[in-house]
Amino acid sequence: MSAYLVTIFIIVLIYLLLSLGLTIQYGLTGLVNFGLVGFFAIGAYASALLAMNGIPMVVSFLLASVLAGLAAWPIGLVALRLRDDYFAIVTLGFSETIRLVIVNESWLTNGVRGITDVPALFQGAASSAPLVTVGVLLIVNAAIIVVLQRIVKSPFGRALEAVRDDEIALTALGKSPSRFKIEVLVLGSALAGLAGAFYGHYVTYIVPDQFVPLTTFYIWMAVIIGGVGRVSGAIFGTVLLIGLLEGSRFLRDLIPAIPDTEMASVRIGAVGLLLILFMIYRPQGLLGDFTKR
Amino acid sequence: MYYIQLALNGLSQGLVVGLAALGITLVFGIARFANASAGDGLTFGAYLALVGQRITDSLLLGVGFSIIVSALANVLSYKLVFKKLAGRSSVALLVGSIGLGFLVRGALGVVFGHQQEVFNVQLVAPYRIGELAISILDLQMASVAALALAATFGTLYFTSIGRQMRAVADNLELARVCGIHPERVMIALWSLVGAVTAVAGLILGIKTVVSPEAGWEMLLPAFAAAILGGIGSPVGAVLAGLLLGVAQEVSTPFVGFSYKIALSFVVILFVLLVRPSGLLGRIEGVR
Repeated sequence: MSAYLVTIFIIVLIYLLLSLGLTIQYGLTGLVNFGLVGFFAIGAYASALLAMNGIPMVVSFLLASVLAGLAAWPIGLVALRLRDDYFAIVTLGFSETIRLVIVNESWLTNGVRGITDVPALFQGAASSAPLVTVGVLLIVNAAIIVVLQRIVKSPFGRALEAVRDDEIALTALGKSPSRFKIEVLVLGSALAGLAGAFYGHYVTYIVPDQFVPLTTFYIWMAVIIGGVGRVSGAIFGTVLLIGLLEGSRFLRDLIPAIPDTEMASVRIGAVGLLLILFMIYRPQGLLGDFTKR
Repeated sequence: MYYIQLALNGLSQGLVVGLAALGITLVFGIARFANASAGDGLTFGAYLALVGQRITDSLLLGVGFSIIVSALANVLSYKLVFKKLAGRSSVALLVGSIGLGFLVRGALGVVFGHQQEVFNVQLVAPYRIGELAISILDLQMASVAALALAATFGTLYFTSIGRQMRAVADNLELARVCGIHPERVMIALWSLVGAVTAVAGLILGIKTVVSPEAGWEMLLPAFAAAILGGIGSPVGAVLAGLLLGVAQEVSTPFVGFSYKIALSFVVILFVLLVRPSGLLGRIEGVR
């Protein structure tokens, strides 16, 4: 049981990295990134492939994160000149294209069969490896949260909120919204890449099917339910999300009549319903800013 | 000759993309948001036709059933979701429509399961012109699509409600001042979109297989066609859809079968950067 709880905790912490990335992008700056999972995938595959070729894992993690951030840069350059909804479509297309590349370029990624022998995290620690993983993830998340809180209170953070709330006013003050947008897009995507690296090395097996758009919208759900633009909201939402996903697994154990694939459909439907209800009745989320809508 | 055959096959794919894009562009032009539930709307229409055919034992009646129920369902989704989000940012509507799409896909998965279903249609030997093979089924589908298009454009350009819809698309405030009832226009819009989407879903289902994910995979090509045709331009959406369908098929020998969706992504990027008004869009088209 405790091993199971540790596993859940690790998954929460990995997803939290994604939620924090989306919090910077959407919550703080108002960037509608529907392609989060694409950067997650880049991180997972990059770190796995690098580590399998003898690169030390610390380096492969960093490189994976940098690569995911770099991948966001050209997308930012072309897409940020576009309106919100076009940007959303372009990023969604980007993540699907990344998945297609992974499926098709088997020489690199082993195609649909995926990579089944990703080096595991902290093999040296033997039986206490999961606990070490929790520790490292906690430190990484804490460090990012501290930096994020500082960013929010800094002039840079205020500029980001201005990008979200009133681009024209920001331009009138002589600042360039698109520069801030690109920086935030790269930053959030690098976080998603880091999350991908942790994910790949933790589950030690990655296939393209893990990187479908549904994952992006899991994170969207977490951020929207938790509270848009709040770090506390991202944490709360992520815990709630994993609770829901894992809870549905227990539900299946209790009601054995529901087969696996049906449960997947129930999950998809539940995500959809929650997105609709929160968008209509509580767009600021449970812990969000009550004064705004 | 091989390429002409591919292009012909592409046309029937293009019908699906074009009709789906027509729905998207109408919503974009009149209700003013990117409707991401359009893909799952196709799936819904396909399942409805399947059920209709099984109940009535006739494909034609099944299609009618699908069109009517899909139109009603779209009006319902407007009343329950999009109307409540009206006046909010386009992102709120977009996320709401993503949610609606997921809800529909999940519900279809629970009701029908995940095994692929096929329409029960007779196989007839294709017409042959020289080396070209033209399937009778394709011709029938094309005429259904042509009927749907004629009905849509007839409504848009020759009826009072169509004129009102175009007025709202043009300038919402001005339309309201002129005494046009926005609610009535929206209900007409969503029934029209529901009907068009149902026909697109039917053709998709007949040409391939029906599964809960089938429609979602058409979403990006449909968006690409709507953008390529010029957002808000119904004629442009259909033309661009046909073009994209043909381009997808003809490019297959070069880029491989599974990079089709990537072509849509490239088209979206390219059009938005080079000519955001699309092929037939208005010059001032926003991006």
